[in-house]
Amino acid sequence: MVFSSIPFLYYFLPAVLGVYFLAPRRWKNGVLLLASLVFYGWGEPKLLWLMVFTIALFYLCGLAIEGAKTRRWKTVWLIVSIAAGVGLLGVFKYADFFIGSFNAVTGLRMPLLKLALPIGISFYTFQCLSYTVDVYRGSVPAQRNPITFGAYVALFPQLIAGPIVRYVDVARELEARTHSWEDVTAGLRRFLVGLGKKVLLADNFALLIRLFRESGEKSILFYWMYAIAFTLNIYFDFSGYSDMAIGLGRVFGFRFVENFNYPYLSKSVTEFWRRWHMSLGSWFRDYVYIPLGGNRVSRGRWVFNILTVWMLTGLWHGAAWNFVLWGLLFAALLLAEKWVPALGKLPGVLRHGYVLLAVVLSFVLFNAESLAQAGSDFACLFGFGGLGLTSPETLYYLKSYAVLFLIGILGCTPVVKHTAAKIAGTKAGPVLETALMLALLIVCTAYLVDGSFSPFLYFRF
Amino acid sequence: MKKRIGLIAVAAVWAALAVWAWLRPAQDLSLSERRPLARKPTLRWETLLDGSFMADFEDASLDQFPLRDSFRRVKSLVHFYALNQSDKDGIYVSDGVAAAQEYPLSETSVNHALDRFNRVYEQYLRGTDSRIFCAVVPDKGYYLAEETGHLSMDYGHLFSLVAEGIPWAEQIDLTDTLSAEDYYRTDTHWRQERLIPAAQRLCGALGVTPPKQEDYTVTPLERPFYGVYYGQAALPMSPDTLCLMESGLLDACTVYDYETGKTGAVYDESKESSKDLYDVYLSGARSLLTIENPNAATDRELILFRDSFGSSIAPLLVSDYAKVTLVDLRYIQSDYLGQFLTFSGQDVLFLCSTLVLNSSAAIK
Repeated sequence: MVFSSIPFLYYFLPAVLGVYFLAPRRWKNGVLLLASLVFYGWGEPKLLWLMVFTIALFYLCGLAIEGAKTRRWKTVWLIVSIAAGVGLLGVFKYADFFIGSFNAVTGLRMPLLKLALPIGISFYTFQCLSYTVDVYRGSVPAQRNPITFGAYVALFPQLIAGPIVRYVDVARELEARTHSWEDVTAGLRRFLVGLGKKVLLADNFALLIRLFRESGEKSILFYWMYAIAFTLNIYFDFSGYSDMAIGLGRVFGFRFVENFNYPYLSKSVTEFWRRWHMSLGSWFRDYVYIPLGGNRVSRGRWVFNILTVWMLTGLWHGAAWNFVLWGLLFAALLLAEKWVPALGKLPGVLRHGYVLLAVVLSFVLFNAESLAQAGSDFACLFGFGGLGLTSPETLYYLKSYAVLFLIGILGCTPVVKHTAAKIAGTKAGPVLETALMLALLIVCTAYLVDGSFSPFLYFRF
Repeated sequence: MKKRIGLIAVAAVWAALAVWAWLRPAQDLSLSERRPLARKPTLRWETLLDGSFMADFEDASLDQFPLRDSFRRVKSLVHFYALNQSDKDGIYVSDGVAAAQEYPLSETSVNHALDRFNRVYEQYLRGTDSRIFCAVVPDKGYYLAEETGHLSMDYGHLFSLVAEGIPWAEQIDLTDTLSAEDYYRTDTHWRQERLIPAAQRLCGALGVTPPKQEDYTVTPLERPFYGVYYGQAALPMSPDTLCLMESGLLDACTVYDYETGKTGAVYDESKESSKDLYDVYLSGARSLLTIENPNAATDRELILFRDSFGSSIAPLLVSDYAKVTLVDLRYIQSDYLGQFLTFSGQDVLFLCSTLVLNSSAAIK
């Protein structure tokens, strides 16, 4: 089930909210766990066992790590949990990628497993891994209540597309959280803003991308429109989902970590990754980069660490070589920024332009179906595809999507938020805010009722 | 406090819609979209496990949502006026006229249609002394698209493909006999009461007496006509009026339907209450019909290979013909025609719209 769907908005969520707030405090985690399993099972009924198995496995590993008498046994149980988590990811997400690559190199024909990719497996596996590592480090005690632990792993607001919520960040709220009108108000407002980002912006850009792919009359300008549209699409899709997740979390009394902070305003790639998918970046920093030695090692080892982390970041996004290259591209840019300090002294406009160009081009690589298509897309973007500068179709869609591009670009900046804050501070603020929330609800519902199913991009990760 | 009241207002609307969605009795049909609506599925273990229950439930939740048409209208208003988008799923509205963006030209589809026409020619027409004609009916976009800044297919190329693809047929150009006003504002089709110039062009080429406006009485139907674009655009548009061109000659004609074996009138009154009012012309989608004209000036016969555009113009072509046979190759395979028809020197007209040519998979 996705948030931006009629079944979720008008069937599942109202029912869950009703039961949750009527339930006694001690049952609330049970209600959340049950609701989360229904939510997950709605999309993946046959893989519900995997979710239950993952919960049981990491629950037991957490207890075993904490209960182990010696450091050695703690390490053994940690390794067991990591091997199990990475193993599940390896089997369900990466097996065919590795088999396919192995076949390509050796010329063998090992059969592919062709397993369905469980929704959100990368997110909930990383959450589980952070849990056992944190228990091992002593940062947090193991959770003894399996229902509470299950509610953490399967928590539907952030189950399938993040943000990656570490156990340590919500441990206290899982045990005893408070609910308030303020939280519910702020949570619903955040949810509706995220819904608007997803339904009104991301899905409309997705439509333009589809029209571009189907077009038989492409041009250089159309390729650039596509690249920018995808850059906006993925931002509003993912940040919209994060807003909805954070908002829902707050309604249920949780404070999830922020995941985006206007990444397209960045003036360096380093800054971009501090603002984009922040929960993933900090996860890799704390659980991979620093354990590898971080930057307190020799230069060669540091380069190795950077390349490893970014290759894994790429692979986390998808089991294909274009994702690996995408990660390594960012590794190269980050290294360049470290090694060429002059880059940081360029005028702000140039630095901003460089980051935007790098990000837009990186997303062309990211969204390609294959490396060959990525190569072809890049060739066309830079005029080597034998295409004209523009075409009647390009100009038609440029005109048709001009307002949406404008709104999208403004939406990537804090302008909208600042304007909303100013209006909220006026006398008519609360009325206007209510009107805006109602309008968002009605218009998003209208788009959903009239539109076709449009899954979140981050479902595949 | 004010914020809390605001939240209560939003939550109340949300909850009201949710309760309505849960409790609303299922609807069978969307009149604006002319299609049956999905109904909530019955919960069964197998459908739960294979996920089909969820998929069907999602379809039903969209189709059965309360105030569905109003919500669709809200989307269209935002889409066209707030976001200033030029079309919605290929449908655009300009000065109260809705049209579909027929773009791009699919040569594969046109060639498929021409291949089917050639098959008919080879099977039944080659070697006969039939005079064979072809007229392509331009869709509304031919007149509207460029003027309103929308995309349209390369019509010139389509016409030349047709002319080259069926060289055995004499081409009749209808483009200068029509204009955007000759089509319904809310529908794909042309308006019968404005087809005299086109019918005159066809009759002139066929060598029969062309119809004259004064030979007919124009009778508007009482029921408003909401065309197919009305539902697709989902914008507030006033309905069209569908008119019948009536005459004593047409009143005397009888129509034999090979599918049902029944004989009826040129204008099918029973269709005045159907989903698509346009079906009143020769009963709508039919594979094989024959119009018998007892008052024909000659004993000549016409075989008209047609699509839905043919339904409304055919009555204007019958005056000199004792018999007009209408064949819709979307509903009958050409191989079977020999079982019902004898091709023996009749006039033959292929009358096909650009819409069908550009999306011809249905032609058998």
